[in-house]
Amino acid sequence: MTAAVEFQNVSRHFGSVRAVDGVDLTIAEGSFFAMLGPSGSGKTTCLRLISGFEKPTSGTIRIFGEDVSSVPPHLRNVNTVFQDYALFPHMNVRDNVAYGLMVKGMGRAQRHAKAEEMLALVKLSGYGDRKPAQLSGGQRQRVALARALVNEPRVLLLDEPLGALDLKLREAMQDELKALQHKLGLTFVFVTHDQHEALSMADHLAVFNEGKIAQIGTPQDIYDRPATRFVADFVGSSNVLPPELTRALGGPPQWASLRPEATKLAATGPVSGPVTALRYLGSGTRVVIRAGETEIAALVPAGEPVPAEGEIRAIAFAPQALHLMGEA
Amino acid sequence: MSAPAILPARGAADRLTGVFWRRPNLLLLILVTPPLLWLGVVYLGSLAALLLQSFYSIDEFSGVVKEEFTLKTYAELFRAQNLDIILRTVVMAAAVTLACAILAFPIAYFAARYARGPWKAAFYLGVMLPLWSSYLVKVYAWKLILAKEGVLTWAASGTGTGFLIDGILSIPGLEGSSLSTSPFGTFLVFVYIWLPYMILPMQAALERVPNSMLEASADLGATRGQTFRTVILPLAMPGVIAGSIFTFSLTLGDYIIPQIVGNSSRFIGLAVYQLQGTAGNIPLAAAFAVVPIVIMLIYLTLAKRAGAFDAL
Repeated sequence: MTAAVEFQNVSRHFGSVRAVDGVDLTIAEGSFFAMLGPSGSGKTTCLRLISGFEKPTSGTIRIFGEDVSSVPPHLRNVNTVFQDYALFPHMNVRDNVAYGLMVKGMGRAQRHAKAEEMLALVKLSGYGDRKPAQLSGGQRQRVALARALVNEPRVLLLDEPLGALDLKLREAMQDELKALQHKLGLTFVFVTHDQHEALSMADHLAVFNEGKIAQIGTPQDIYDRPATRFVADFVGSSNVLPPELTRALGGPPQWASLRPEATKLAATGPVSGPVTALRYLGSGTRVVIRAGETEIAALVPAGEPVPAEGEIRAIAFAPQALHLMGEA
Repeated sequence: MSAPAILPARGAADRLTGVFWRRPNLLLLILVTPPLLWLGVVYLGSLAALLLQSFYSIDEFSGVVKEEFTLKTYAELFRAQNLDIILRTVVMAAAVTLACAILAFPIAYFAARYARGPWKAAFYLGVMLPLWSSYLVKVYAWKLILAKEGVLTWAASGTGTGFLIDGILSIPGLEGSSLSTSPFGTFLVFVYIWLPYMILPMQAALERVPNSMLEASADLGATRGQTFRTVILPLAMPGVIAGSIFTFSLTLGDYIIPQIVGNSSRFIGLAVYQLQGTAGNIPLAAAFAVVPIVIMLIYLTLAKRAGAFDAL
């Protein structure tokens, strides 16, 4: 099967800033692919390299096997949902959605019918006559989605599409986007700095750091087996253990990660320290223990005894829960 | 002892701020009263006085203004020579506005979308600098540039492009012995003098178009031309209209440039100037002065109907 998007050693430098630095990436057709990373990590630049708003300094980008190095954005059959939605304020919702068809020369009646179809798909039937300014944030988001989908793109790019929405709406849209992707069978590439969003929505994700891909894999891979300290730090609420602690816990002198859910509290053990913070989460309590310089979080399930702040506790875990990883 | 929940007023300024907080409209009232008085009394008042004058007439034998309501003065506007003045002025104003818009757009576009830091400063300086020097000096400078012995003719003959100037001067309606005595010269000077008033509002309008909107257009398959017609131009339209109000109305009212550069044919401003001065025909001068107001109202109505303010 051809890859929907393929990066071969792609770099994009802005002067001395290496926004994207030697990225290799394959996005399978029909996948929901997330690019995750802190701001300035190169994820948005990668998205813009796919849409054509940035040109690679070096390397090759292929979309469905075709080299797009010299293809301008308007001839690439990929569409973008912009972070600020970028709806045209002087057009009503219907004309916004039909815009892609209008510039391709489709007749008014036909494109309006198609636009209504798309509006129905994003559950905005009957909103066609409104101006974008008359819509809520969530509705604008749907219009942006409908406008991008009307062209029937091979790949849909989403640039932090849910960033401007409040939590409840964001969660609802996450489910809807996932359902929509499933229904259309399209390749979605979606940029976010929100770990939970990436883990819950994507079937594959790439974690970006300083212009490079730190790790690429399924959400389970990334969460359970972070390749580097950075990934463990960024993606999870995972505990990151320095080499000396790993050794004290019976492992080799290497960096390791340990998930709070897999961490138990014990009266005594090789690594112990005072409880410094307690956070009640409903389903349990997150207990933080300070062991020397390192803070280690453990999740105590609801119903089990919770220590008080300042009490000394040791940590315990099943041996297979300790995951060793690289330095960078 | 802990700090008090209410801090003591330190003086008159604190108390005054308190008064404004309790009566939010008071500050607004104080702020808008002087300009409203100015607008109401000085501006609208003089406009009303002008309108009133235009409904009077002049006794043709004694030259005394008869203070009786009549439409006779307005009827005079429709005499061939007066209609000629109005038509000439409107055509000139329209041509100047169009030329200003075409010249200003790339400059404004560059300034709004590409110029950053020192380039932005250079843009503002470049646009504003001509406004620092006297209007009259600039017009006379142009007269010298356009004169038969001027630098333009000299440069044209030096580069063998003199036929271009001769060609322009042989077009019916633009005849003259040199550009400085041709209506085309008048046009050039008008364009130069009013150009900043077109660039600045255009740039302000273009500045408010986010880059992502242009990218969205390209992303959806639009060519540069389509993006320009369907996104940039409609969104910049309020700025274009604002600029064109300046260039159009300033050209409609100007009476100095046509006196200095061109073939001395009369424009509305010049007619008003001469009618109220030498001829002493205040009613006809007033009626002439109403013409630009009416034209601007028609222009704005048409612009609104065409949807120029939809993006406001």
